[in-house]
Amino acid sequence: MKTFKLENEPKIKSGFKTPENYFDDFSEKVLQQLNEKEVKVIPFFKRKKTLWTAAAAVVGFALLIPVINNYRANSNDLDEATLENYLSYHSNISQYDLIQKLDDSDIEKLGNDVTLEDETLEDILATSPNIEHLISEQN
Amino acid sequence: MIDEKEFIKQLLTPETQNVAFQKLLSDYQRPLYSHIRNIVLNHDDADDVLQNTFVKVFQNLKNFKGESKLFSWMYRIATNEALTFLSQKAKLSGISSEDLQNKTIDGLKADLYFDGDEIQIKLQKAIVTLPEKQQLVFKMKYFEELKYEEIADILGTSVGALKASYHHAVKKIELYVTSN
Repeated sequence: MKTFKLENEPKIKSGFKTPENYFDDFSEKVLQQLNEKEVKVIPFFKRKKTLWTAAAAVVGFALLIPVINNYRANSNDLDEATLENYLSYHSNISQYDLIQKLDDSDIEKLGNDVTLEDETLEDILATSPNIEHLISEQN
Repeated sequence: MIDEKEFIKQLLTPETQNVAFQKLLSDYQRPLYSHIRNIVLNHDDADDVLQNTFVKVFQNLKNFKGESKLFSWMYRIATNEALTFLSQKAKLSGISSEDLQNKTIDGLKADLYFDGDEIQIKLQKAIVTLPEKQQLVFKMKYFEELKYEEIADILGTSVGALKASYHHAVKKIELYVTSN
């Protein structure tokens, strides 16, 4: 086999070509890229402004926390469960006192809630021994 | 030709910057293109890397201290950009840099912007078998015909070390071409 010697061979070129007119508009391409990059840069003062706005929003929110808590503590809207629990376990109001506080519309409302069949009602009345004084009290 | 220091001053002065940068582009686009193309092998990649190189040159001009020549400094940026590009491309494809280069060389036959024949392809295949530094030295000396002093300034090595590197590279290439 013939030994290959680089210096004995004619100069081997790389063989790389460029598209026609490639270098004519190359500088244009680079300058355009540079302009785009310059546009993308966010000025420092703008970022600073955003930071200030964010910081002010956080401080404002923090200041509002005690106000919101206070409002909630003073609220008169008690939920039903709390009220029922209080009346059942912590008050010395008797069932009788409660009944006295009810007016006609409340009783009507109670009647609507109780859906008893006539037969069931009759059974209760027939088997309940202390019914007489209730009837006399109503009259 | 104007003094290099004066030219750098023009590049950094806003009023003269555009004209000076145009001159820089027209003076260096061809040699830097060849340098990059010899490393990345394919035209589209060379185009991308060349654009990035000039953008980096422009952005870093203010940090250029004039310790080396503008020519060497730009070649150094181009070399780094091309090598980084190659390793990133290989990483993305999940193959080694050598495999990637071999694949690119196989594709050269069908490349519109390559008019080499068998011997050129074989030479490229032989170069890929060399260590990275020897590849660079061989390409810069043999294809780009740069002087040892210029290559030494670009790569930051001594002329003696470069001569040894080139000698080793030539020996290995001759051995490869003879046996393949």
